[in-house]
Amino acid sequence: MSKSSPRRSFGRKSIGTVTVIEAKVHRSSARNARMAFILTAVIIGVLAAVVAAAYVHPIIALFIGAAVSVPCGALAWLLVRIWPVLRLLWWWTPEIVLAVLLLTGWVQLATHTSTLVTLAVVAVVLGVPAAVPALRRQVVAWVWCLIVRHRLRVCFAQFIIANQSGSLPLILWATPTPVGERVWVYLRPGLSLADLEGRLDKIAVTCHASSVLVERASDGNAAYLRFDIKRREVLTATVTSPLADVIDPDAPATDRPTPVIPTALDLPDVQAPTITLPVQPKKQTATSANGSKPAPAPSSDADDLSDWL
Amino acid sequence: MATASAPTAGIPVGPGLSMFDPIFIGIDEFGQHVYITLAYRNLLAGGEPGGGKSGLLNTIAAHAALSVDSRLVLLDGKLVELGQWEDCADAFIGPDITAALDVLRRLQTVMNNRYAWLRAHGRRKVTALDGLSVITVLVDEIAFYSATIGSKQEQEEFVALLRDLVARGRAAGIPVIAATQRPSFDIIPTSLRDLFGYRAAFRCTTPNSSNIVLGHGWAEQGYTATDIAPTNQGAAYLIAEGGTPRRIKVAYLDDAQIAGIADYATWTRRPTRLSAPTGTRVDWETAA
Ligand SMILES: Nc1ncnc2c1ncn2[C@@H]1O[C@H](COP(=O)(O)OP(=O)(O)O)[C@@H](O)[C@H]1O
Ligand SMILES: [Mg+2]
Repeated sequence: MSKSSPRRSFGRKSIGTVTVIEAKVHRSSARNARMAFILTAVIIGVLAAVVAAAYVHPIIALFIGAAVSVPCGALAWLLVRIWPVLRLLWWWTPEIVLAVLLLTGWVQLATHTSTLVTLAVVAVVLGVPAAVPALRRQVVAWVWCLIVRHRLRVCFAQFIIANQSGSLPLILWATPTPVGERVWVYLRPGLSLADLEGRLDKIAVTCHASSVLVERASDGNAAYLRFDIKRREVLTATVTSPLADVIDPDAPATDRPTPVIPTALDLPDVQAPTITLPVQPKKQTATSANGSKPAPAPSSDADDLSDWL
Repeated sequence: MATASAPTAGIPVGPGLSMFDPIFIGIDEFGQHVYITLAYRNLLAGGEPGGGKSGLLNTIAAHAALSVDSRLVLLDGKLVELGQWEDCADAFIGPDITAALDVLRRLQTVMNNRYAWLRAHGRRKVTALDGLSVITVLVDEIAFYSATIGSKQEQEEFVALLRDLVARGRAAGIPVIAATQRPSFDIIPTSLRDLFGYRAAFRCTTPNSSNIVLGHGWAEQGYTATDIAPTNQGAAYLIAEGGTPRRIKVAYLDDAQIAGIADYATWTRRPTRLSAPTGTRVDWETAA
């Protein structure tokens, strides 16, 4: 759609056409729904007619086929049209399930027990994870897993342009790792690993993380990827080898023959090597090379010094 | 190339350990365990002093000491880095290049015999089922032997023997694990450096030093050991043949733990020490 066309026909067009992508997606959804209706109807109709023809007259079978195919096609059409809603529901499934469970539990509790018991149960359910650090960390990690799936979807929807119909990658499950989360993603046509690698810094910002890595999760399928979201650093921790814990502490210590223990452990204990021997030939060569008289005593000292420096 | 699959729960320990098992050396940046299989690969560790190279060598030595099918040959110019393993090692060489050359020549002969044995059996590499021991050669500070002590000739012979072990030893079950501060060409020839299947780059001061350890061009792609904090000793980039560098943290054993493991290993190895050499040597003689 060219930029000038909406302006020229501004009077006629409704305001709804301002968001161009939305209209495109909307139109393609309508077209897809129509295609789904026709395809489903034809295939189901033909199948039903062929099966029915084995029992009744072919003409009646055709009618039966038509009668079966129309509702099936309609169902397919409906599914495609409400697909955005279904997708939205799918994205929020864990949260919806969790909310339903919690609410049901709360209502059941409130109706069947006295207020005091209700409060006590709630206090235990909330208090224990809050008080035990290990549990608390686990709960927080799971919550981050829920959050990070939505943040990744925001990345894809907001700044990773996928394809014309605007289909987003399938964000599969997420698990906590010691440094953050690991999320598996199935790409749709229009994206690749290389596209994502160029935007990792932006993804990290969107996920409120320190850095993000992406790599292939399967050797056989380039669409199946794994995001590693890092929020913490583990490489600074001290790692111990498990070998240290498995040895038998009662193992007899090896009796080593006491080695000769060296004594001269400090600088004054070690005599300076006698320097007269190496110095003498140097002096001789120096004088002979110069071809001059041997220098007086103070200057020969200086000479020695520079030799040693 | 790993022969055994990585264990899923915990790390196998005790007398059941084998040098053909994956060796636990630490965790990666996601907190997952990192294993390497040394039976068919050599490892080179580089990085500035105090980076943690000797720590890595000790972790590997601990696994080797507790493995049933393993022999240790230690070369340590500093005496103290690997010195605690002396009692469970078959050879422990201090700052003495003659002794170092002797033991390397012995290893070369063993390697040649093993290849002759393999050829006689129509095979190409030693496996865990052969009952042959994996002879792990650990060299701390190669530079000490290749550029510091001994005459020029001895140093060259040391490098030549080591290169032969690194080049041919892997299929014969003689892996070499070496550490040096900066593996530039004057310390170990480039031809030798490029033969190591695993490289671990501990903290380096320049991207160039990091490239020297990991291989050319990694610093430009963002894998440079200069970004390891000086205070974070034991963190490294580990690259395996044909892979990309991974950030790892090496498991660390303190002196008391090493002493405990070394005592235990010496204790458990003593019976096999008396019988095993004769058993294998007879095999050898008949085969070769
Ligand atoms: N994996 C590690 N985890 C924690 N600290 C370590 C680790 N490796 C080494 N260190 C610390 O760093 C110090 C120096 O390590 P070392 O292995 O001797 O360095 P290098 O051999 O590279 O000079 C050790 O004394 C120890 O305190
Ligand atoms: Mg060291």
